[in-house]
Amino acid sequence: MNLGGALETFKYIFQRVFIALVVVSGATFLLSLLIQLLPGDPAVMAVPNAMPDRVALMRKDMGLDRGVLGFFWKWYTDMWQGNFGNQYSNNDTISVTVLLKRALPTTLLIILYVQIVALVVSVPLGLISAYREGSRFDRYLQTTLFSLSSIPSFALALILVLICAVRFDWFPVLGYVSPTENFGEHLKGMVLPVLSLAVGITASYTRLLRTDVIATLKDDYIMMANSKGISKSRVLWRHVLRASSTTLLTSAALNMGGLVGGTIITEILFNLPGLGYQIAFAIASRQVISLMSFIAVTAAFYVFFNTMVDVIANIVDPRTRERRV
Amino acid sequence: MFKNFLKKPIGFKLSALWLFAVLFITVTYDLFPFAQWDAISDFSQGDGPFKVPGHILGTSYDGMDMFTATMHGARMSTFVAVVSVIIGGGIGSGLGIAAAYYRGTFDKVMSSIFNMILAIPNLVMSLALISVLANGNSNEPASDFRRVLVLTISLTIVIIPILGRIARSSTLQWSSREFVLASKSIGTKNLEIIRRHIIPNVAPAILAIGFFAVGVVMIAEGSLSILGIGVPGGASWGSLLAIGRANLEYSPHEVYIPVACIGFTVISTNYFGDYIRANLDKRESKI
Repeated sequence: MNLGGALETFKYIFQRVFIALVVVSGATFLLSLLIQLLPGDPAVMAVPNAMPDRVALMRKDMGLDRGVLGFFWKWYTDMWQGNFGNQYSNNDTISVTVLLKRALPTTLLIILYVQIVALVVSVPLGLISAYREGSRFDRYLQTTLFSLSSIPSFALALILVLICAVRFDWFPVLGYVSPTENFGEHLKGMVLPVLSLAVGITASYTRLLRTDVIATLKDDYIMMANSKGISKSRVLWRHVLRASSTTLLTSAALNMGGLVGGTIITEILFNLPGLGYQIAFAIASRQVISLMSFIAVTAAFYVFFNTMVDVIANIVDPRTRERRV
Repeated sequence: MFKNFLKKPIGFKLSALWLFAVLFITVTYDLFPFAQWDAISDFSQGDGPFKVPGHILGTSYDGMDMFTATMHGARMSTFVAVVSVIIGGGIGSGLGIAAAYYRGTFDKVMSSIFNMILAIPNLVMSLALISVLANGNSNEPASDFRRVLVLTISLTIVIIPILGRIARSSTLQWSSREFVLASKSIGTKNLEIIRRHIIPNVAPAILAIGFFAVGVVMIAEGSLSILGIGVPGGASWGSLLAIGRANLEYSPHEVYIPVACIGFTVISTNYFGDYIRANLDKRESKI
């Protein structure tokens, strides 16, 4: 890479990061406006039977006494310093930062497992079905995958619980074991939630990879590799897969962000103490401020992953640079 | 038209039939002599489908007739999904088309607002909106009507940027075509150009995404019900399944009937979206 190209890349990264910051800040600003639209007082809603002096204290703590913009500014600058506000109960105040530290690893682990399972299953499936394009196997697989990718994950989760946990006692449903405590139990508890999220994603990955592989298989250098007598599996795994995995990887990275939102329901259905669980708790106990902080974190993750995809794709694949012009 | 229909692939037929059935029951629910949908049976509680006479799909754990409840749920689910997609899609595509056609500052502002809203995952977005809007002033919960209204409005807001962006990018492609330029140069008014040349060309893409959006809204409605802030009291499919989840062990059909209904509907709308999009590509390649 020459100097001009490097400079161009840096400029691009800078631009993307700047846009990401603007988007996240704008989104958090919209959220804080929503809080101001609230008909009631967030402090009273969080602790309905609080004494007036506690309410005043909480209002000050939340920054509600500073007007619309002042409230946003306090919340926003606090977040940059790692202070995500507090969750209030009758006799207690818990820092959301502590809750986040507890919840985020669980959510990220689920996302990681889902991605691993989805990629491990979809790559061979996509390769085989593209290799046998138009065969009966391919057609049946396509129909199945289309249906699977349309089924909402909560529907799948409920069906899985019904079959695997209620009818046959294969997997535990309730309770989360942390990986440091007992890794085997941890994995066992993760099977159903990860499966319910992974099926739809696997299906869409397979369809993406299949389309790309079909296009690559028509290229001349594949014919060349075949005519040199390289074994079919080697051609598929070495030559074809590498050339046609860009779309798949981009989509996988984009899904990281989407999954942050997607795990919410799964965590609630399976009682996993992740971010989604915290969001549900914040809704149920009407903790508006902490709810907004959780949502802001989710949005930040989402934008962060998306920006990273763009930047990495830009560095790895020069073709995306030209397309941008 | 019927002959054409018979020539379509089997997936098309099944999807069309299912969606037609759902729409049919949504519109004509009142014409059937159904009993009150949430009436409690004295004789049958938690019986499975085809087990007790008079309750084809069985009864819920509390004794609600599942068949009537499912039919009634279809109405609410369809209503929320269709209304929010039509209103949100209308507003979104209007804004998107205008932004792409007029360009300039308006375009910049609109597309950055779309991007900001899209930066929040759609479920989280509707969560935030509902948890803020649906709360009454005091501690008493908001009325059912208000909750449904808020749900529909929130999902509409979620849909606006999705369709807005599609409409914008699609309009960008068409507005630089020669026939638009030609029309401009003979002095046709902008609104006339949009009406005569842009909208007919952009409509199929919007329609395709609109079908997907119906699926998105149905899933969101179900998810929000599971979180306890959707339609209250079992009045929609999502709501039925949220209630049934508590009785999963004793009357599993209470869960799998609404799950199947939501699943079939989402598969059907996705199929139609896919079908329209595939035909769109074909049409484009002929040019």
